[in-house]
Amino acid sequence: MTDIARLVRRAQAGDDDAFGELYQRFARMVHGVVLARIARTEVDDVVQDVFMAAFERLRELREPAAFAGWLAAIARNRAADHGRRLVPVHPVVDTAAPPGTHERLEALAILDAIRSLPEAYSETLVLRLVEGMTGEEIAERTGLTPGSVRVNLHRGMKLLREKLT
Amino acid sequence: MSDYLWDKRGGDPEIERIERTLHVFAQATPPPPLDLRRQPPVRAGVSRVALLIAATLALAVGGAVFTLLERRPTPVWQVTTASGRSTLAIGAWLDTGAGEATVAVADIGTVTMEPGARVRLLDSRAGHHRMELTRGTMHATIWAPPNQFFVETPSTLAVDLGCAYTLTVDEDGGGLVTVLVGWVGFTTGDRESFIPAGFAAVTRPGFGPGTPYSERTSEAYRQALALLDFSPGAGTTPALALVLDQSEERDEVTLWHLLTRVQGPDRDRVFDRLASFVPPPTGVTRDGIRAGDRRMLDAWWDALGLGTTSLWRTWSQQWKDNQPRTRR
Repeated sequence: MTDIARLVRRAQAGDDDAFGELYQRFARMVHGVVLARIARTEVDDVVQDVFMAAFERLRELREPAAFAGWLAAIARNRAADHGRRLVPVHPVVDTAAPPGTHERLEALAILDAIRSLPEAYSETLVLRLVEGMTGEEIAERTGLTPGSVRVNLHRGMKLLREKLT
Repeated sequence: MSDYLWDKRGGDPEIERIERTLHVFAQATPPPPLDLRRQPPVRAGVSRVALLIAATLALAVGGAVFTLLERRPTPVWQVTTASGRSTLAIGAWLDTGAGEATVAVADIGTVTMEPGARVRLLDSRAGHHRMELTRGTMHATIWAPPNQFFVETPSTLAVDLGCAYTLTVDEDGGGLVTVLVGWVGFTTGDRESFIPAGFAAVTRPGFGPGTPYSERTSEAYRQALALLDFSPGAGTTPALALVLDQSEERDEVTLWHLLTRVQGPDRDRVFDRLASFVPPPTGVTRDGIRAGDRRMLDAWWDALGLGTTSLWRTWSQQWKDNQPRTRR
């Protein structure tokens, strides 16, 4: 049994510290998955909702080893739901951005370009380029196969380069 | 691919510059404290998925109900409507009428039925749960491993491969599935479609599942696919020309399915268009694809990077074993 699976088992048995440790380990992944889909200013609230939902439903998870994919699915669902309520997403992102330096505006433009890519690519690129996770970490934390992550990174980066040129 | 993009080794000035620029949006380290006692925001105009998740949470936090579910020897499908809760027995029908219903699918997921939907529970046991949707719309979120949740419709069998999706059956028995997360398999006889997140597929009685298409495709693209799928021989040449012309890299899944759904010179044209996005891997030849060589088709699918066909084939065999006994 993996370290994560052991934490899941402990959390399912009512150990709040174990769930806190899962939060620490998966917060970046959930943050990235949500950030790829909804307005930046709404992300923190939705991340909290995702973990609250996971906490409430954790006992329904039969296979602790599936925790990563299960949590990522909750995050995608929550973000998709939230995104639909806040349509259009992009104007919200732009108008909510505080006036700032050229670098901040450039960051918003790049983030917008990433979000315009197909979902599988945008999510993986946000996890890699914003959250700073390696390909292997992305695979471990989302439940995707390393091969899928590698393809998503490769194709997504190719499309992103085309958009940024 | 740059090693740096995968494992941060080796360096790549352009990617490093993007990383530095985007770092301002990253999750704080350590993340902010988690407040598990707060209430989720409830807003007007909440979507179907929100209702579904809220209903799931409501079931999950209902301690007594949860405990009962945990101890029950056989799976229970609990139905929640505006008028209260009940249990759906095997063989029983559920008509949502003017209201909406949320069904807890044993312990593997939830299904929200929209008003006007009609479903029946066909079977429910460990590792195998099956329902029938004869009309209306359902939204499913399934967290069990793939190939445990099946929905029969008048024109196909929908197989959950670990995902969230919406399935609609119209008055004529035709269907539409839209996948939000994961994959859904549509299968009727020897015809099968794999529909990934962001894609949709229609199904028609007498034909089975149509070719999956990205939700970003144009209406004309979808109409052309419908012509290819359900009106073979009637104006398929211009329809195929439109599909090939408008296909982008994201449409590899669509083109791969078309390889076995068009014949003769049309198959060559699909071959060329798909090859322009994903070159056929070693061992995959034009002659082989013309002949419908399953191993070559599988090898090309594997080259799309969407998962290996060995899994699909294993599941597909299980689907065939699970085909409905009667088909309208």
